[in-house]
Amino acid sequence: MATITLERTEQQADIFSRPQSKVAETVLQLTDVAKTYDKQTMILRNIDVALHKGEFVSIIGKSGAGKSTLLRCVNRMIEPTSGEIVFDGQNITHLKKKELRKQRAKIGMIFQHYNLVSRLTVFENVLHGRFGYKSTLQGVLGLYTEEEKQLALTILEKLGMQEHIYKRCDQLSGGQKQRVGIARALVQEPTLLLCDEPIASLDPNASKIIMDHLKEISQSMGITVLVNLHQVDVAMKYSDRIIGLSHGTKVFDDVPSRLSQFAIRDIYGTDVDELITE
Amino acid sequence: MEALPSLPNVAMKNGRIQIKKQTKATIVMRIVLWTLFAMTVIGPFLLDYGEIDWAEALSLTLGNLQMMFLQPAFNQITFGTAMMQIGITLALAFLATVLGAVISFFLAAFSARNLSPAWLANIIIASNSFVRAVPTVLWVLIFAIVAGLGAIACVLGMMLHTIAYLTKAYAESFEELDEGTIEALKASGANWWHIVWHAVIPQSSSYIISWTFLRFETNYDVAVAMGAAAAAGGIGFELFMASSFYYDLHEVGMITYCALVVAILLEMISIRIKRHYLGKA
Repeated sequence: MATITLERTEQQADIFSRPQSKVAETVLQLTDVAKTYDKQTMILRNIDVALHKGEFVSIIGKSGAGKSTLLRCVNRMIEPTSGEIVFDGQNITHLKKKELRKQRAKIGMIFQHYNLVSRLTVFENVLHGRFGYKSTLQGVLGLYTEEEKQLALTILEKLGMQEHIYKRCDQLSGGQKQRVGIARALVQEPTLLLCDEPIASLDPNASKIIMDHLKEISQSMGITVLVNLHQVDVAMKYSDRIIGLSHGTKVFDDVPSRLSQFAIRDIYGTDVDELITE
Repeated sequence: MEALPSLPNVAMKNGRIQIKKQTKATIVMRIVLWTLFAMTVIGPFLLDYGEIDWAEALSLTLGNLQMMFLQPAFNQITFGTAMMQIGITLALAFLATVLGAVISFFLAAFSARNLSPAWLANIIIASNSFVRAVPTVLWVLIFAIVAGLGAIACVLGMMLHTIAYLTKAYAESFEELDEGTIEALKASGANWWHIVWHAVIPQSSSYIISWTFLRFETNYDVAVAMGAAAAAGGIGFELFMASSFYYDLHEVGMITYCALVVAILLEMISIRIKRHYLGKA
């Protein structure tokens, strides 16, 4: 049953995305990516994913399905065991340290726990996003150009954080911290934005603000957004496309409207009614 | 009335329920403690006291203590000299602490498990524990072979021990840093130095400050002793001269008081710093 669904959805995805893929260039292409730590249990297997410019894609799946691992394989925070990663027309699978840093600078990342330097100000944290473009000395001395500072301020204003620029990050609420996280990623001027459970620690209201900002970023700035999500309904509402992972295998890859009860059962192993959705 | 255990595995003794179960380890521990206690009590009766007249010995000791601490006075040196000598002792401690702290910072960054590869961390940690196992006095005397007895050997020896101590302290505070923060910066393309400078230092600066000051306090104590033991100068040397050369117990008392006041001051500052920085951490 699972295989039948899989084949059907792949065909449909192909038909559906054809007009789009003609115009939009491919930003990220994962080919046959696999990850294992002990050569026995496969965390990821045979993952093929193509992301296009400005696309908003969600990855859904149970805890332990390999969502976070997949996301971190994209910027090689976790090294895939096999497979190819082509980002922005360049194969980054075997890039050395220095070259990899350059490519990582073009991939923004935001996290469930925001991962800010809590004792520094909002402004300082946002400017940390520029390290990828700096030499060791420039970075250590904190030599940012006026253009970079201006960029940071513009982004902070766009995210509605203009009043908190000089506040220490440990004085902010969760939603505000996540907006600083987004600003830090955007100041990298990224082509791709990876979001690892961005709203898992936030209340519904702050979650909506964050998701709206992410959607806005993909639409108006043309940045491709790849989000790990726990909430199926949120994924349905915001995504252009949903990828379903189950036990490290891609079992669904299509527009949200095609995410049927059957597909959800493939992904979560339960019916949608049994899932707690907000 | 005898309580009957409701469960079959409850230990009973003389009809009472036992809270702890007696194991071999607890029995051995009890025997060891009682033996040590018995030896402590019996020990003094087995010493050879020779011809000591207890009353006289006691009154002389008390007399000496009284001379030292109840009639302190400056005879060979003045209050100004004492203050200057304390200044020298503080300078020795300061130099050893600052030099040690700077080197420790880098060593700690290379030996924190979240920042450095395991092999490098292990090498530094292992050599550190070797250095720490040797007392500071011994290091000073070892350095005296090359530098000669004096201030240089003293600073070098104290510095080495300071490095070993602070590297461990710093590295442990670096390891408290949230793994996610490092991950976030790495993902944005930051290199190792960027991460150390802009995430590790701001997050652990308060620990660095209070650990460093704590070590400065320790180094002051050591520097007093080194003044005498390694002829490094400072108040320790004056103390040595007053006690072993002039046999002037009044002055020994006075110098002790001076050194003590400074030590207490340092202690108070140290507590303040700790409360200020670590309280809010």
